[in-house]
Amino acid sequence: MMCEQCGKNPATTHVHTVINGVSAQKNLCTYCAVASGYAGFQSGGLMNMLSSVFGDSLAAHPTSNEKRCNCCGATFSDIAESGKAGCSDCYREFGPQLMNSLQRMHGKTKHVGKVPQSASGEVRAAAYLQNLKDELAQAVTSEEFEKAAKLRDQIKLAEAGENHE
Amino acid sequence: MSKWYESNTSGIVVSTRIRLARNLAGVPFPGRMNDSQRTEVNKKIIDSIMNGSSALSKDLKVVDMDSISDAEALAMVERHIISPAFARNRKNRRLILSLDESISIMLGEEDHIRIQVLKGGLQLFETYEIANNIDTLLSESLTIAFDEQLGYLTECPTNLGTGLRASVMLHLPALESTGEISQLADAVSKIGLTIRGMYGEGSGSKASLYQLSNQVTLGISEKSALDNLKSITMQMIEREQVTCKNFDKISLEDSVFRSFGILKNARLLSSDEMMQYVSQIKIGVSLGIIKLKDENIPIKLMIETQPAMMALKLNSQDASERDIERAKIFREQMS
Ligand SMILES: [Zn+2]
Ligand SMILES: [Zn+2]
Repeated sequence: MMCEQCGKNPATTHVHTVINGVSAQKNLCTYCAVASGYAGFQSGGLMNMLSSVFGDSLAAHPTSNEKRCNCCGATFSDIAESGKAGCSDCYREFGPQLMNSLQRMHGKTKHVGKVPQSASGEVRAAAYLQNLKDELAQAVTSEEFEKAAKLRDQIKLAEAGENHE
Repeated sequence: MSKWYESNTSGIVVSTRIRLARNLAGVPFPGRMNDSQRTEVNKKIIDSIMNGSSALSKDLKVVDMDSISDAEALAMVERHIISPAFARNRKNRRLILSLDESISIMLGEEDHIRIQVLKGGLQLFETYEIANNIDTLLSESLTIAFDEQLGYLTECPTNLGTGLRASVMLHLPALESTGEISQLADAVSKIGLTIRGMYGEGSGSKASLYQLSNQVTLGISEKSALDNLKSITMQMIEREQVTCKNFDKISLEDSVFRSFGILKNARLLSSDEMMQYVSQIKIGVSLGIIKLKDENIPIKLMIETQPAMMALKLNSQDASERDIERAKIFREQMS
Protein backbone atom coordinates (compact mmCIF):
# COMPACT_ATOMS: atom_id res chain seq x y z
CA MET A 1 0.00 0.00 0.00
CA MET A 2 1.30 3.44 -0.91
CA CYS A 3 1.12 6.58 1.22
CA GLU A 4 -2.17 8.42 0.72
CA GLN A 5 -0.58 11.79 1.12
CA CYS A 6 2.44 11.73 -1.19
CA GLY A 7 1.73 8.57 -3.18
CA LYS A 8 5.49 8.05 -3.53
CA ASN A 9 6.52 5.95 -0.53
CA PRO A 10 5.13 2.79 1.05
CA ALA A 11 2.60 3.47 3.81
CA THR A 12 4.15 2.37 7.08
CA THR A 13 2.03 4.25 9.60
CA HIS A 14 -1.66 3.52 9.97
CA VAL A 15 -3.47 6.20 11.90
CA HIS A 16 -6.98 5.83 13.25
CA THR A 17 -8.72 9.14 13.61
CA VAL A 18 -12.11 9.95 15.11
CA ILE A 19 -13.43 13.31 14.01
CA ASN A 20 -16.94 14.34 15.10
CA GLY A 21 -17.74 10.72 15.81
CA VAL A 22 -16.68 9.50 12.36
CA SER A 23 -13.73 7.16 12.44
CA ALA A 24 -11.36 6.82 9.56
CA GLN A 25 -7.99 5.28 8.80
CA LYS A 26 -5.08 7.11 7.21
CA ASN A 27 -2.19 5.19 5.67
CA LEU A 28 0.95 7.27 5.56
CA CYS A 29 4.66 6.86 4.97
CA THR A 30 7.00 7.70 7.83
CA TYR A 31 7.87 11.02 6.25
CA CYS A 32 4.26 12.18 5.93
CA ALA A 33 3.28 10.74 9.32
CA VAL A 34 5.92 12.83 11.08
CA ALA A 35 5.27 15.91 8.95
CA SER A 36 1.55 15.72 9.80
CA GLY A 37 2.25 15.22 13.46
CA TYR A 38 0.81 11.72 13.68
CA ALA A 39 3.97 10.01 14.77
CA GLY A 40 5.34 11.17 18.09
CA PHE A 41 9.02 10.83 18.79
CA GLN A 42 9.82 8.18 21.35
CA SER A 43 12.89 8.47 23.51
CA GLY A 44 14.31 5.45 21.75
CA GLY A 45 13.65 7.06 18.40
CA LEU A 46 10.80 6.61 16.02
CA MET A 47 12.88 4.13 14.06
CA ASN A 48 12.97 1.63 16.90
CA MET A 49 9.26 1.87 17.32
CA LEU A 50 8.46 1.51 13.64
CA SER A 51 11.13 -0.95 12.62
CA SER A 52 9.97 -3.39 15.25
CA VAL A 53 6.50 -3.30 13.72
CA PHE A 54 7.23 -2.87 10.05
CA GLY A 55 10.54 -4.62 9.70
CA ASP A 56 12.82 -3.20 7.06
CA SER A 57 10.11 -1.69 4.87
CA LEU A 58 11.66 1.65 5.81
CA ALA A 59 14.77 0.68 3.90
CA ALA A 60 12.72 0.99 0.70
CA HIS A 61 12.20 4.67 1.41
CA PRO A 62 13.73 6.70 -1.44
CA THR A 63 16.14 9.29 -0.10
CA SER A 64 18.46 9.99 -3.03
CA ASN A 65 16.89 13.26 -4.19
CA GLU A 66 15.83 14.52 -0.79
CA LYS A 67 17.04 17.85 0.55
CA ARG A 68 20.02 17.50 2.89
CA CYS A 69 21.12 19.64 5.82
CA ASN A 70 24.15 21.70 4.75
CA CYS A 71 25.92 21.20 8.04
CA CYS A 72 25.51 17.49 8.78
CA GLY A 73 24.02 15.95 5.64
CA ALA A 74 20.90 14.58 7.32
CA THR A 75 17.64 14.36 5.35
CA PHE A 76 14.17 14.78 6.82
CA SER A 77 13.70 11.01 6.47
CA ASP A 78 16.83 10.46 8.56
CA ILE A 79 15.34 12.61 11.29
CA ALA A 80 11.88 11.06 11.07
CA GLU A 81 13.28 7.55 11.20
CA SER A 82 15.76 8.04 14.02
CA GLY A 83 13.70 10.54 15.99
CA LYS A 84 16.87 12.60 16.25
CA ALA A 85 18.15 15.72 14.54
CA GLY A 86 21.61 15.55 12.96
CA CYS A 87 22.76 18.97 14.12
CA SER A 88 21.36 22.26 15.33
CA ASP A 89 21.05 23.55 11.72
CA CYS A 90 18.62 20.68 10.95
CA TYR A 91 16.00 22.56 12.94
CA ARG A 92 16.37 25.61 10.68
CA GLU A 93 16.35 23.40 7.59
CA PHE A 94 13.45 21.13 8.53
CA GLY A 95 11.76 23.10 11.33
CA PRO A 96 8.47 23.75 9.50
CA GLN A 97 8.03 20.03 8.80
CA LEU A 98 8.57 19.21 12.48
CA MET A 99 6.14 21.72 13.93
CA ASN A 100 3.11 19.40 14.06
CA SER A 101 5.08 16.74 15.89
CA LEU A 102 6.48 19.31 18.32
CA GLN A 103 2.97 20.59 18.96
CA ARG A 104 1.83 17.07 19.86
CA MET A 105 4.90 16.37 21.93
CA HIS A 106 5.06 19.55 24.00
CA GLY A 107 1.66 21.18 23.46
CA LYS A 108 3.48 24.38 22.46
CA THR A 109 6.03 25.41 19.83
CA LYS A 110 7.49 28.63 21.22
CA HIS A 111 10.34 28.63 23.72
CA VAL A 112 9.87 30.35 27.06
CA GLY A 113 12.68 30.65 29.60
CA LYS A 114 16.44 31.10 29.67
CA VAL A 115 18.29 32.42 26.63
CA PRO A 116 22.06 32.19 26.21
CA GLN A 117 24.36 35.21 26.17
CA SER A 118 25.07 34.62 22.51
CA ALA A 119 21.42 35.35 21.60
CA SER A 120 20.61 38.77 20.11
CA GLY A 121 19.88 41.70 22.41
CA GLU A 122 16.29 41.68 21.24
CA VAL A 123 15.76 38.03 22.19
CA ARG A 124 17.44 38.55 25.54
CA ALA A 125 15.32 41.63 26.27
CA ALA A 126 12.12 39.75 25.42
CA ALA A 127 13.12 36.90 27.72
CA TYR A 128 13.95 39.38 30.48
CA LEU A 129 10.54 41.04 30.12
CA GLN A 130 8.72 37.69 30.14
CA ASN A 131 10.61 36.69 33.27
CA LEU A 132 9.55 39.91 35.04
CA LYS A 133 5.94 39.30 34.03
CA ASP A 134 6.08 35.74 35.42
CA GLU A 135 7.51 37.05 38.68
CA LEU A 136 4.79 39.69 38.84
CA ALA A 137 2.06 37.10 38.39
CA GLN A 138 3.64 35.04 41.15
CA ALA A 139 3.94 38.05 43.48
CA VAL A 140 0.28 38.94 42.92
CA THR A 141 -0.83 35.37 43.61
CA SER A 142 1.15 35.24 46.84
CA GLU A 143 -0.07 38.74 47.79
CA GLU A 144 3.40 40.27 47.97
CA PHE A 145 2.20 43.72 46.96
CA GLU A 146 5.39 45.68 47.60
CA LYS A 147 7.35 43.29 45.45
CA ALA A 148 4.62 43.46 42.78
CA ALA A 149 4.79 47.26 42.69
CA LYS A 150 8.56 47.14 42.20
CA LEU A 151 8.18 44.58 39.43
CA ARG A 152 5.58 46.76 37.66
CA ASP A 153 8.10 49.63 37.61
CA GLN A 154 10.77 47.33 36.23
CA ILE A 155 8.37 46.09 33.54
CA LYS A 156 7.55 49.68 32.53
CA LEU A 157 11.24 50.46 32.23
CA ALA A 158 11.91 47.31 30.22
CA GLU A 159 9.00 48.01 27.87
CA ALA A 160 10.14 51.61 27.38
CA GLY A 161 13.62 50.34 26.51
CA GLU A 162 12.09 48.09 23.89
CA ASN A 163 10.09 50.94 22.33
CA HIS A 164 13.24 52.97 21.77
CA GLU A 165 14.61 50.35 19.44
CA MET B 1 35.05 13.17 50.68
CA SER B 2 31.48 12.07 51.31
CA LYS B 3 29.21 11.54 48.33
CA TRP B 4 25.92 13.28 47.50
CA TYR B 5 23.91 10.25 48.64
CA GLU B 6 25.29 10.37 52.18
CA SER B 7 23.04 13.21 53.33
CA ASN B 8 19.34 14.18 53.25
CA THR B 9 18.18 10.83 51.83
CA SER B 10 15.99 9.69 54.72
CA GLY B 11 12.72 11.35 53.66
CA ILE B 12 10.08 10.36 51.13
CA VAL B 13 12.02 12.40 48.56
CA VAL B 14 15.30 10.52 48.45
CA SER B 15 17.03 12.76 45.93
CA THR B 16 16.67 15.52 43.35
CA ARG B 17 18.27 15.52 39.92
CA ILE B 18 18.56 18.33 37.39
CA ARG B 19 19.74 17.74 33.85
CA LEU B 20 20.39 20.38 31.22
CA ALA B 21 20.97 19.36 27.59
CA ARG B 22 23.21 21.71 25.59
CA ASN B 23 25.01 21.61 22.24
CA LEU B 24 27.53 23.66 20.35
CA ALA B 25 26.19 25.46 17.31
CA GLY B 26 27.32 24.41 13.85
CA VAL B 27 28.77 21.00 14.78
CA PRO B 28 26.86 17.74 14.15
CA PHE B 29 25.22 16.21 17.22
CA PRO B 30 27.04 13.21 18.80
CA GLY B 31 25.03 10.75 16.68
CA ARG B 32 26.47 12.19 13.44
CA MET B 33 29.91 13.30 14.60
CA ASN B 34 33.20 11.85 13.46
CA ASP B 35 35.98 11.14 15.88
CA SER B 36 38.06 14.23 15.19
CA GLN B 37 35.01 16.45 15.65
CA ARG B 38 34.32 14.65 18.92
CA THR B 39 37.86 15.23 20.16
CA GLU B 40 37.69 18.91 19.23
CA VAL B 41 34.29 19.46 20.87
CA ASN B 42 35.40 17.66 24.06
CA LYS B 43 38.47 19.86 24.26
CA LYS B 44 36.50 23.08 23.79
CA ILE B 45 34.04 22.20 26.53
CA ILE B 46 36.69 20.99 28.96
CA ASP B 47 38.72 24.18 28.39
CA SER B 48 35.65 26.31 28.92
CA ILE B 49 34.83 24.73 32.27
CA MET B 50 38.24 23.90 33.67
CA ASN B 51 39.97 27.12 32.58
CA GLY B 52 36.94 29.37 33.00
CA SER B 53 36.64 32.23 35.44
CA SER B 54 34.68 30.13 37.93
CA ALA B 55 36.04 28.79 41.21
CA LEU B 56 34.12 25.63 40.42
CA SER B 57 36.95 23.99 38.48
CA LYS B 58 39.05 23.22 41.55
CA ASP B 59 36.45 20.67 42.68
CA LEU B 60 36.16 19.06 39.26
CA LYS B 61 38.14 16.36 37.49
CA VAL B 62 37.98 15.04 33.94
CA VAL B 63 37.44 11.30 33.53
CA ASP B 64 38.60 9.68 30.34
CA MET B 65 35.76 7.22 29.71
CA ASP B 66 37.86 5.06 27.30
CA SER B 67 40.28 4.28 30.06
CA ILE B 68 37.89 2.96 32.71
CA SER B 69 36.70 -0.65 33.04
CA ASP B 70 33.16 -1.95 32.43
CA ALA B 71 32.72 -2.48 36.17
CA GLU B 72 33.78 1.10 36.90
CA ALA B 73 31.37 2.43 34.27
CA LEU B 74 28.47 0.32 35.57
CA ALA B 75 29.24 1.37 39.13
CA MET B 76 28.90 4.98 37.95
CA VAL B 77 25.44 4.12 36.61
CA GLU B 78 24.60 2.60 39.98
CA ARG B 79 25.72 5.82 41.68
CA HIS B 80 23.42 7.68 39.23
CA ILE B 81 26.22 9.87 37.87
CA ILE B 82 26.05 8.67 34.25
CA SER B 83 23.35 7.16 32.04
CA PRO B 84 23.38 3.49 30.97
CA ALA B 85 23.84 4.64 27.35
CA PHE B 86 26.95 6.62 28.31
CA ALA B 87 28.36 3.59 30.12
CA ARG B 88 27.78 1.38 27.07
CA ASN B 89 29.47 3.61 24.52
CA ARG B 90 32.57 5.15 26.06
CA LYS B 91 34.69 5.66 22.97
CA ASN B 92 36.28 9.11 23.06
CA ARG B 93 33.75 10.19 25.67
CA ARG B 94 34.63 12.40 28.62
CA LEU B 95 33.03 12.99 31.98
CA ILE B 96 33.58 16.03 34.19
CA LEU B 97 32.89 15.03 37.76
CA SER B 98 32.92 16.84 41.10
CA LEU B 99 34.60 15.29 44.16
CA ASP B 100 31.30 14.54 45.92
CA GLU B 101 29.90 13.36 42.54
CA SER B 102 26.94 15.73 42.84
CA ILE B 103 27.96 17.41 39.57
CA SER B 104 28.54 15.26 36.52
CA ILE B 105 28.86 16.60 33.01
CA MET B 106 28.66 13.99 30.26
CA LEU B 107 30.36 14.97 27.01
CA GLY B 108 29.12 13.16 23.91
CA GLU B 109 26.10 11.39 25.35
CA GLU B 110 22.99 12.14 23.29
CA ASP B 111 23.97 15.82 23.28
CA HIS B 112 27.41 17.46 23.28
CA ILE B 113 26.86 18.49 26.89
CA ARG B 114 24.64 16.99 29.56
CA ILE B 115 24.97 18.91 32.83
CA GLN B 116 23.67 16.92 35.76
CA VAL B 117 23.37 17.95 39.39
CA LEU B 118 22.24 15.51 42.09
CA LYS B 119 21.47 16.13 45.74
CA GLY B 120 19.83 14.23 48.57
CA GLY B 121 16.30 15.32 49.52
CA LEU B 122 13.98 17.77 47.78
CA GLN B 123 16.24 20.55 46.44
CA LEU B 124 14.87 21.46 43.03
CA PHE B 125 15.80 25.15 42.99
CA GLU B 126 19.17 24.68 44.71
CA THR B 127 20.28 22.02 42.24
CA TYR B 128 18.91 23.97 39.27
CA GLU B 129 20.91 27.01 40.35
CA ILE B 130 24.15 25.00 40.25
CA ALA B 131 23.37 23.58 36.80
CA ASN B 132 22.29 27.00 35.58
CA ASN B 133 25.59 28.56 36.68
CA ILE B 134 27.58 25.90 34.85
CA ASP B 135 25.50 26.53 31.73
CA THR B 136 26.10 30.29 32.01
CA LEU B 137 29.82 29.67 32.44
CA LEU B 138 29.86 27.54 29.26
CA SER B 139 27.98 30.17 27.28
CA GLU B 140 30.62 32.78 28.15
CA SER B 141 33.17 31.11 25.91
CA LEU B 142 31.15 28.81 23.62
CA THR B 143 28.36 29.41 21.12
CA ILE B 144 25.51 27.28 22.39
CA ALA B 145 22.97 26.05 19.81
CA PHE B 146 19.85 28.13 20.37
CA ASP B 147 16.86 29.25 18.35
CA GLU B 148 14.48 32.04 19.29
CA GLN B 149 11.46 29.88 18.48
CA LEU B 150 12.63 26.44 19.60
CA GLY B 151 14.95 27.41 22.46
CA TYR B 152 18.01 25.28 23.19
CA LEU B 153 18.52 22.88 20.28
CA THR B 154 18.97 19.25 21.23
CA GLU B 155 19.49 16.02 19.33
CA CYS B 156 16.14 14.63 20.44
CA PRO B 157 13.18 16.97 19.84
CA THR B 158 11.69 15.89 23.19
CA ASN B 159 14.30 18.08 24.92
CA LEU B 160 13.88 21.25 22.84
CA GLY B 161 13.17 24.49 24.65
CA THR B 162 14.77 24.63 28.06
CA GLY B 163 16.57 21.28 27.69
CA LEU B 164 15.70 20.84 31.35
CA ARG B 165 14.77 17.50 32.83
CA ALA B 166 14.15 17.79 36.56
CA SER B 167 13.34 14.73 38.60
CA VAL B 168 12.82 13.60 42.14
CA MET B 169 13.30 10.06 43.40
CA LEU B 170 10.46 9.15 45.73
CA HIS B 171 10.13 6.31 48.20
CA LEU B 172 6.44 5.34 47.98
CA PRO B 173 5.89 1.97 49.69
CA ALA B 174 2.36 2.85 50.91
CA LEU B 175 1.04 4.17 47.58
CA GLU B 176 2.62 1.17 45.88
CA SER B 177 0.97 -1.37 48.17
CA THR B 178 -2.50 0.16 47.72
CA GLY B 179 -2.03 0.30 43.95
CA GLU B 180 -2.71 4.05 43.97
CA ILE B 181 0.60 4.63 42.24
CA SER B 182 -0.75 3.56 38.85
CA GLN B 183 -3.68 6.00 39.09
CA LEU B 184 -1.23 8.73 40.02
CA ALA B 185 0.90 7.83 37.01
CA ASP B 186 -2.11 8.43 34.75
CA ALA B 187 -2.96 11.68 36.50
CA VAL B 188 0.52 13.21 36.31
CA SER B 189 0.89 12.27 32.64
CA LYS B 190 -2.01 14.62 31.87
CA ILE B 191 -0.12 17.58 33.30
CA GLY B 192 3.18 17.05 31.52
CA LEU B 193 4.93 14.92 34.14
CA THR B 194 5.88 11.28 34.18
CA ILE B 195 6.40 8.78 36.97
CA ARG B 196 8.27 5.52 36.53
CA GLY B 197 9.60 2.79 38.75
CA MET B 198 13.34 2.70 39.37
CA TYR B 199 15.37 -0.48 39.64
CA GLY B 200 12.71 -2.52 37.90
CA GLU B 201 11.26 -3.45 34.55
CA GLY B 202 8.22 -1.65 33.22
CA SER B 203 6.35 0.27 35.86
CA GLY B 204 7.46 -1.91 38.78
CA SER B 205 10.10 -1.03 41.31
CA LYS B 206 12.24 -3.20 43.55
CA ALA B 207 12.53 -0.91 46.55
CA SER B 208 9.32 1.12 46.06
CA LEU B 209 11.44 3.86 44.49
CA TYR B 210 9.86 5.99 41.79
CA GLN B 211 11.12 8.81 39.66
CA LEU B 212 8.84 11.77 39.00
CA SER B 213 10.01 14.14 36.25
CA ASN B 214 8.86 16.79 33.80
CA GLN B 215 8.18 15.68 30.22
CA VAL B 216 7.50 18.99 28.52
CA THR B 217 10.41 21.34 27.85
CA LEU B 218 9.12 23.62 25.10
CA GLY B 219 6.88 26.56 25.96
CA ILE B 220 7.35 26.31 29.71
CA SER B 221 9.99 28.27 31.63
CA GLU B 222 12.50 26.58 33.92
CA LYS B 223 10.86 28.20 36.92
CA SER B 224 7.34 27.07 35.99
CA ALA B 225 8.55 23.53 35.29
CA LEU B 226 10.25 23.37 38.68
CA ASP B 227 7.25 24.92 40.45
CA ASN B 228 4.94 22.32 38.88
CA LEU B 229 7.19 19.45 39.79
CA LYS B 230 7.56 20.74 43.33
CA SER B 231 3.85 21.15 43.88
CA ILE B 232 3.05 17.64 42.59
CA THR B 233 5.90 16.25 44.71
CA MET B 234 4.43 17.91 47.81
CA GLN B 235 1.06 16.33 47.02
CA MET B 236 2.65 12.92 46.59
CA ILE B 237 4.42 13.26 49.93
CA GLU B 238 1.14 14.08 51.61
CA ARG B 239 -0.70 11.17 49.95
CA GLU B 240 2.06 8.77 50.95
CA GLN B 241 1.99 9.99 54.56
CA VAL B 242 -1.80 9.78 54.83
CA THR B 243 -1.86 6.29 53.29
CA CYS B 244 0.92 5.14 55.60
CA LYS B 245 -0.99 6.37 58.69
CA ASN B 246 -3.93 4.16 57.79
CA PHE B 247 -1.81 1.02 57.85
CA ASP B 248 -2.21 -1.49 60.67
CA LYS B 249 0.52 -0.50 63.12
CA ILE B 250 1.43 -3.93 64.40
CA SER B 251 1.77 -5.56 60.99
CA LEU B 252 3.85 -2.64 59.75
CA GLU B 253 6.16 -2.99 62.75
CA ASP B 254 6.29 -6.72 62.20
CA SER B 255 7.48 -6.41 58.62
CA VAL B 256 10.04 -3.71 59.53
CA PHE B 257 11.49 -5.81 62.36
CA ARG B 258 11.55 -8.99 60.25
CA SER B 259 13.54 -7.19 57.57
CA PHE B 260 15.79 -5.72 60.24
CA GLY B 261 16.36 -9.19 61.65
CA ILE B 262 17.36 -10.58 58.29
CA LEU B 263 19.75 -7.72 57.47
CA LYS B 264 21.32 -8.04 60.93
CA ASN B 265 21.86 -11.78 60.62
CA ALA B 266 22.02 -12.95 57.02
CA ARG B 267 25.21 -14.59 55.78
CA LEU B 268 24.23 -14.41 52.11
CA LEU B 269 22.37 -11.44 50.68
CA SER B 270 21.48 -11.09 47.01
CA SER B 271 20.97 -7.61 45.64
CA ASP B 272 17.25 -8.21 44.93
CA GLU B 273 16.69 -9.30 48.52
CA MET B 274 18.70 -6.40 49.81
CA MET B 275 16.53 -3.90 47.88
CA GLN B 276 13.35 -5.33 49.35
CA TYR B 277 14.58 -5.22 52.97
CA VAL B 278 16.25 -1.82 52.66
CA SER B 279 12.89 -0.39 51.62
CA GLN B 280 11.36 -1.75 54.85
CA ILE B 281 14.27 -0.43 56.93
CA LYS B 282 13.84 2.98 55.35
CA ILE B 283 10.15 3.08 56.42
CA GLY B 284 11.14 1.85 59.87
CA VAL B 285 13.71 4.62 60.29
CA SER B 286 11.40 7.36 59.04
CA LEU B 287 8.54 6.27 61.34
CA GLY B 288 10.86 5.92 64.33
CA ILE B 289 10.24 2.15 64.62
CA ILE B 290 13.97 1.43 64.49
CA LYS B 291 16.99 3.63 65.03
CA LEU B 292 20.27 3.51 63.13
CA LYS B 293 23.41 5.49 63.94
CA ASP B 294 22.77 7.56 60.79
CA GLU B 295 19.39 7.83 59.06
CA ASN B 296 21.11 7.99 55.65
CA ILE B 297 22.45 4.45 56.02
CA PRO B 298 19.64 2.66 54.10
CA ILE B 299 20.14 4.59 50.84
CA LYS B 300 23.92 4.78 51.24
CA LEU B 301 24.19 1.00 51.61
CA MET B 302 21.63 0.36 48.91
CA ILE B 303 23.81 2.27 46.44
CA GLU B 304 27.13 0.98 47.72
CA THR B 305 26.12 -2.69 47.60
CA GLN B 306 24.71 -2.71 44.04
CA PRO B 307 26.25 -5.50 41.91
CA ALA B 308 28.88 -3.47 40.02
CA MET B 309 29.80 -1.48 43.13
CA MET B 310 30.48 -4.79 44.92
CA ALA B 311 32.33 -6.27 41.95
CA LEU B 312 34.56 -3.20 41.96
CA LYS B 313 35.14 -3.34 45.71
CA LEU B 314 36.00 -7.05 45.68
CA ASN B 315 37.67 -6.95 42.29
CA SER B 316 35.69 -10.08 41.47
CA GLN B 317 32.81 -11.08 39.20
CA ASP B 318 31.79 -13.91 41.50
CA ALA B 319 28.15 -13.41 42.57
CA SER B 320 28.27 -15.55 45.72
CA GLU B 321 31.38 -13.74 46.92
CA ARG B 322 29.41 -10.50 46.48
CA ASP B 323 26.44 -11.90 48.42
CA ILE B 324 28.71 -12.86 51.33
CA GLU B 325 30.35 -9.44 51.42
CA ARG B 326 27.00 -7.63 51.05
CA ALA B 327 25.59 -9.58 54.03
CA LYS B 328 28.70 -8.71 56.06
CA ILE B 329 28.37 -4.98 55.32
CA PHE B 330 24.73 -4.99 56.43
CA ARG B 331 25.46 -7.00 59.60
CA GLU B 332 28.03 -4.37 60.60
CA GLN B 333 25.87 -1.34 59.78
CA MET B 334 22.50 -2.51 61.10
CA SER B 335 23.64 -2.82 64.70
ZN1 LIG C 1 3.99 10.00 2.19
ZN1 LIG D 1 21.94 19.04 10.26
